[in-house]
Amino acid sequence: MAIPLCLRTIEETSLSMWIRDTPSLFGYWFILTIHAIGMTMLVGASAVLDLRLLGVAPDLPITPLKKLYPMMWTGFWVQVISGLLLIIAFPTKAFTNPLFYAKLGLIAFAMVMMARLKKRIFDDSSLNDEGMMIKGRTLAMWSFVCWIGAMVAGRFLAYTFKYLVYPDDASAKLGQFLDFISRL
Amino acid sequence: MNFLNLAHQHLLLNHWPIIGTFMGLSLFLIALTARKDYLKKVSLVIFSIVALFAIPAYTSGHAAASLIAAETEAFPEIVETHQGAALMAFLFMQATGAFAWLGLWQFRRDSRPAKWILPAVLFFSVVAAATLALTGNTGGEIRHLEIRPEQETLSFVAAAGTAIFASTQRIVLLPSRWGGTWPILETLHFLGLTLLFATLGLLDLRILGFFKQLPLRPLVRFVPWAIAGFACNLITGMLFFIGMPAFYNYNIDFHLKMFGVVLAGANILLLFCTDAFRECEQLGPNEDAPISAKFLAATSMILVFAVLVLGRYMPFFEESLTPF
Repeated sequence: MAIPLCLRTIEETSLSMWIRDTPSLFGYWFILTIHAIGMTMLVGASAVLDLRLLGVAPDLPITPLKKLYPMMWTGFWVQVISGLLLIIAFPTKAFTNPLFYAKLGLIAFAMVMMARLKKRIFDDSSLNDEGMMIKGRTLAMWSFVCWIGAMVAGRFLAYTFKYLVYPDDASAKLGQFLDFISRL
Repeated sequence: MNFLNLAHQHLLLNHWPIIGTFMGLSLFLIALTARKDYLKKVSLVIFSIVALFAIPAYTSGHAAASLIAAETEAFPEIVETHQGAALMAFLFMQATGAFAWLGLWQFRRDSRPAKWILPAVLFFSVVAAATLALTGNTGGEIRHLEIRPEQETLSFVAAAGTAIFASTQRIVLLPSRWGGTWPILETLHFLGLTLLFATLGLLDLRILGFFKQLPLRPLVRFVPWAIAGFACNLITGMLFFIGMPAFYNYNIDFHLKMFGVVLAGANILLLFCTDAFRECEQLGPNEDAPISAKFLAATSMILVFAVLVLGRYMPFFEESLTPF
């Protein structure tokens, strides 16, 4: 399968090259660090909420946990921005790996679960803690599983990519050849 | 004094786990005979803290060994014997520390630990003390020719340590088409850190005055989850180190991170697992924590974030230290 040329265009922009190649402390590793901190906010806030709904810390009142949502959304936007910069740095690496799409899908699914959780549980003032747990259990479980899945996929992106950068013709042919061999 | 000299760092650190374990064990034996709970708790704190200290002591040892590897005076077989014994001592110290930490947690929650905890601590600390004596002895022989025996015999403990190191390294570096064992450990390391940040973060933020409607006592139920995350990362982290010690030895970032781990661990222990801040647990909704607890909650947040940042930057600082 041919790799879209636009990926090479992105790689050749000065921003992409700077993130990849700068010896500065604030290049690639800085963005990756921000991506990890955003993860602790986004997944951390969701995980605490999920764990409580699944029965951990049963004496903890649930309603005040609504305040975790602003932190979750802050983390989400930190992830979107830092994630976009990482994609700009290595577009071919991301878009040629099927696991990358799995990660995005799992994140989207988990975010939908969190949004529905807010609507069904926190926006319904008639529910007590017990009612919230019963009503939120399935959503909490699925979002928890999806977050773990997204993290597993994200971590494996560093080990399963096929091309680090857009291949020149020779290495593209080699890649296709290796791909062909591996399917035998 | 050269802080960046890793052999010096090892010399500064390596006496503490030995002396600390012997002091902790003596105090523990007195506490058990006198049946005094507060003395038991103090010895459990000592065991937990020296277990944390053992981490940089062990990791700096590998760096020190690679520094003197070229010298003719240091016989490689003595260094190997020392390293084998050191790994065994490290493992038994970590087991002691883990059970001691669990015991402290149970002391704080139920005011008495489960029946088997203290005997387990006693057993592992005695074995740790014995293996530490062996480690200290062979370690001294590396530099002190006057105490070196005519014929060095590889002890059973050292041989076991060397074998465990080699087989662990083989498993950690097991390759496969998608990357092998390493990515699995990396994934667990990230899941562990998220669990730690999620639970510890909420506790720290509440003490600092955020999420004020939450009472603190039920939140403390998250502490075992935080410690589970910490333990998961300690284990996977040590497996990384055993897998590729050469990658970490000359990395300034790694050695700083290990200090951060010691401080962060001691901070969590003090704030949530000793009696020092027990009254803080009674905090109801909209009540303010004392300033001392807020200070420790703030340092705990700063330390875990520092450890995360140092961890993520690790590859950037590869070979940032040069062999002297």
